[in-house]
Amino acid sequence: MTQMRLHLSFPEERVREPIVYEICRTFPVVVNIRRADISENSGWMELEMDGELADIERTVVYLRDRGVIVAPLEKSILEG
Amino acid sequence: MNRPSAPHRESDTARGEGSQPSSAGSKIKGLKCRECGRLYPAVAMHICEFCFGPLEVDYDYEAIATRLSRRSIEEGPKSLWRYHELLPVTGAPTVGLNAGMTPLVHAKRLGKLLGLDNLYLKNDTVNHPTLSFKDRVVAVAMTRARELGFDTVACASTGNLANSVSAHAASVGMKCFVFIPHDLEAGKILGNLIYSPTVVAVRGNYDDVNRLCSEIGGEYPWAFVNINIRPYYAEGSKSLAFETAEQLGWRIPDQVVVPIASGSLLTKIKKGFQEFEKLGIVPANPGLRVNGAQAEGCSPVYRAFISGKNHLVPVKPNTIAKSLAIGNPADGFYSLDVVFKSKGAIAAATDPEIVEGMKLLAETEGIFAETAGGVTVASLKKLCEEGRIKRSELTVAYITGNGLKTMEALAGALPEPVSIDASLASFRKNVNPSN
Repeated sequence: MTQMRLHLSFPEERVREPIVYEICRTFPVVVNIRRADISENSGWMELEMDGELADIERTVVYLRDRGVIVAPLEKSILEG
Repeated sequence: MNRPSAPHRESDTARGEGSQPSSAGSKIKGLKCRECGRLYPAVAMHICEFCFGPLEVDYDYEAIATRLSRRSIEEGPKSLWRYHELLPVTGAPTVGLNAGMTPLVHAKRLGKLLGLDNLYLKNDTVNHPTLSFKDRVVAVAMTRARELGFDTVACASTGNLANSVSAHAASVGMKCFVFIPHDLEAGKILGNLIYSPTVVAVRGNYDDVNRLCSEIGGEYPWAFVNINIRPYYAEGSKSLAFETAEQLGWRIPDQVVVPIASGSLLTKIKKGFQEFEKLGIVPANPGLRVNGAQAEGCSPVYRAFISGKNHLVPVKPNTIAKSLAIGNPADGFYSLDVVFKSKGAIAAATDPEIVEGMKLLAETEGIFAETAGGVTVASLKKLCEEGRIKRSELTVAYITGNGLKTMEALAGALPEPVSIDASLASFRKNVNPSN
């Protein structure tokens, strides 16, 4: 069992969709939303995701395929 | 659900608590969450367990004020370590002893061209040992990492940071792991391999390297300078502000122009000036305007600025300014906040404008900067044209890396040499001596 902390950014066209509900129904992962700011045009969310590593990986791919930008909590850590 | 082995929950060993002294030293109280203010010990961690906000070093300024003065600074070494009292290490520095104290150049020729009488350039293209401002942050991060008992240092990077971490690790014999995307240019990989770190080329894109390093940072007892050591690492950037103030004769400029990648540099330069003011080292200058510079091909902070919003939308980077190409910047929101509150501005430069900025800087001041320097100069030019910087204002622009690192950006942008036969006649025929 693994836990990952993720930062999700939602584009405008996805911001009205129940994506967190969908991933919890589709994959055996537990999502705990810790911080979020969603407006009508865009939004972000920081959450903990518990599950088997392979299931978390599949969830991340699913989110990215839906246009959600998924990053570690640190966001972009590549510098210079 | 049980969480027996959580990669992102740093273990005590990974935090360096095993060798952590009971007190982190009289000047460091600990770490403090920038969002909720919760306090933590000064160990290797970077995110608040409660609200996920970023952690910052919490200093005991009253204790520091009893020891710090202009004189104590002037008596210190000719490096960033002369500001040791305001850097997050408890003992004597052990890594990067010659980093910092780079020239502050009075840019008269560039200033004249831009209509500025008092333009200065903080020239970190000659920083030691790897010719970029990263030598500052890495010197501080690795000194702190050694204090915390780490014997291995690591980073995720595509260039300057990897260079600096590898060089500093070699200089003190620390084990070093550098993580890069697998398709990075060969030249950049060689520039790291010369220092003999373990270079790990990850089969994936930048996002994949990001995520993997974040996982590894929680699992292995390594000092990832830009992950679990980040609160200490970022503080090294303050030395740019300290040096600027001292080199200007103990005063704070009216305007600064700072390139934005993660946004950390801009916020720490502002913090450095504030600390000097707070401790009475320099007179306060409430009129200081902090301006940002981004490459248009990766400009989430600029876009938020011009739309008047404080929410950043991540972007896919597409610019020649690779060292600024962070599409989802960790300190983007905070840098935007500093710019708004100081009544500064942010400008962005296209790739051709970046090259023009590099050429302008070289032609007028004899400084060969990397693409990030081109972004800064091009943005400075735009800010002047927009009337945001006045002729008489004391202005400092930060040039953060050497042009030798990004030679490929100039391919095809410069004229060919004049080719002649080895005769005076050929010289006279082909070369205009009045040029």
